[in-house]
Amino acid sequence: MTKRAFIFILVCVGVAALASAQTRRRPRTSRPATQTQAPRGSAAKYSAFLHSSDKHKSLTCNECHKVPTGWAAKRDFPDVADFPDHDACVRCHRQQFFTRQSMIGTGPAICTVCHVRAAPREDMRFAFGKPNNSNQQAKAKDERQFTIEFPHDQHQNVIARWRGVQSVRLESHHGFKSLKADDKKPDYNNCSICHQTDMSLAIVALAAPNTDPAMLHPFKSMPRSHDSCFNCHWKNQKPVAADCAGCHQPAATFIPELGRKRISAKFAHEGGKGEHIAECTTCHINITRASTTRGLTPDVPINACAACHRDSKKTTYPKAVTIETELDQFKKTGECTYCHAADVGKKRPPPSHDAAVQ
Amino acid sequence: MKRFAFALIFFLFPFSFFLVAQSTQFGVVRLKVRYKSSEGTKDLPRKRFFLIKGSIDQNRALIEKIKQTSLASLECYYRSHGASEALIKWLKDNDCESVYCREIEDKYLSGAEAVPEFQKAFEQALNELKNREVARRWLTNYLAPEIRSGFYDEKQKMIQALLSGPEASTKAKVMSIMTDRKGTGYLTNIEPGTYTISNVVASETDKTSIVWICEREVKATDLGTAMKRPMMLSNEADPKVKCEVVERPLAACN
Repeated sequence: MTKRAFIFILVCVGVAALASAQTRRRPRTSRPATQTQAPRGSAAKYSAFLHSSDKHKSLTCNECHKVPTGWAAKRDFPDVADFPDHDACVRCHRQQFFTRQSMIGTGPAICTVCHVRAAPREDMRFAFGKPNNSNQQAKAKDERQFTIEFPHDQHQNVIARWRGVQSVRLESHHGFKSLKADDKKPDYNNCSICHQTDMSLAIVALAAPNTDPAMLHPFKSMPRSHDSCFNCHWKNQKPVAADCAGCHQPAATFIPELGRKRISAKFAHEGGKGEHIAECTTCHINITRASTTRGLTPDVPINACAACHRDSKKTTYPKAVTIETELDQFKKTGECTYCHAADVGKKRPPPSHDAAVQ
Repeated sequence: MKRFAFALIFFLFPFSFFLVAQSTQFGVVRLKVRYKSSEGTKDLPRKRFFLIKGSIDQNRALIEKIKQTSLASLECYYRSHGASEALIKWLKDNDCESVYCREIEDKYLSGAEAVPEFQKAFEQALNELKNREVARRWLTNYLAPEIRSGFYDEKQKMIQALLSGPEASTKAKVMSIMTDRKGTGYLTNIEPGTYTISNVVASETDKTSIVWICEREVKATDLGTAMKRPMMLSNEADPKVKCEVVERPLAACN
């Protein structure tokens, strides 16, 4: 046997052993009959994963993403918390994994879709949800390939019943503070079930004398994780967890709304010296008509503020700073400071503000 | 001549903006819904009202369908589906149409206030999810569909069936809003015109169910004006509001 033939046999045995190890690592799932092998193409072509490729678009999400996946170490609830199993890729891309060409140099380029390096013992992967989209430049915004479809009005329907006044606990950055029995605030369950005080957000740094902790965390959060969906849609209630397309639709670019632009940055839901007890929809007047989160308008018209913050209401709310006071202040200093931070407060008050106190 | 035409256009140009601004002005309706019962006058909280294009007469066929539609009361629905007394009590105490409207607390899983349906679902959830807290939070996934949200689903199906006509004719989803706990809701950014405002499927009150079918001519106006002049809906006759109100006593359950 020549030396060249011996090396060739050695390489073949090595590749066969590697292929065997790859396919034995996890239990195999049945291969869909319609799957065909992807054409060879260049290695570089397979170093980027695209949900939008024709072949990938023809698959249902759960042909690759199994629900749940790899959640135990990362979440306290079952979730799709990791990349699909090797089998999801190998069943169509065997050639990209196991040809001799793929084994030379830096290893199969297709591995670098998920793995930081293409090496048999290299398990380090990119963060799930942010695979290596091959040489793409880092983007300033969190762009995604799928939208989130959420019928806000339907969810409001099922949870929007009124139970009246209940005792609640105020959440502050000092911890929980129980309210006294005679100090009860209404619990507007219909919104607070999903939107709680956002403890990660402190928009305005307050001056030392203002020690109201509620002002440090003025806004409400939005649901971020699958937990908020799966608690009702894990199974049986459609769309169920395994039906990814029930909530996510492919999009060229989708930038999730991670926070609203705050116009009245100094407003605090829990502030108002404890007097902000109106129901959420009393001020967010357009929110109940929103059938989707796109174009959802949580805007609060100044008229809602004027219901209390105007001179004619001073007998009811003697301590309230009024819109008229702020308009006068603007004439003197060129800035409205009670509700607005400087970015908004230095602009001329819109006509709606004058109209609201007429 | 050319110079004259140019001058005319020059002077009329600003007015074109005025006309455009006028035509894009929208209307606002502030709804205030109340009902009179044996216990006095109450606000109608958390009920959805729909804004349908056209007058009552123009929507007559739809309105007749709305009047003919009736839905079993919440209690009768759940009784007919074999719900336990404890579950019916939980729904009533929490003012719920479905099990989704409140978090199911621990006290409903064991002890005096335990709800058998919740207990069974919790056991299944715990068996599968292996985490007590997650099982409690996710237990609605393990309830039978009719217990979970059957009443709500039937109501939605009825509403969808009734509104499919107007939606097909306008090729747009019918706008809707929900009243707050004081019976107030705002219909904003409405094109001026005549509209029918209705809750479409009767809303349950203490002892009756009420469906409102009201007409409103919407003019371009601002929110401040609308706030001062709400459109009052009531089950009592009001000559200021053009309404057809159908009030039926809640039927006893079989």
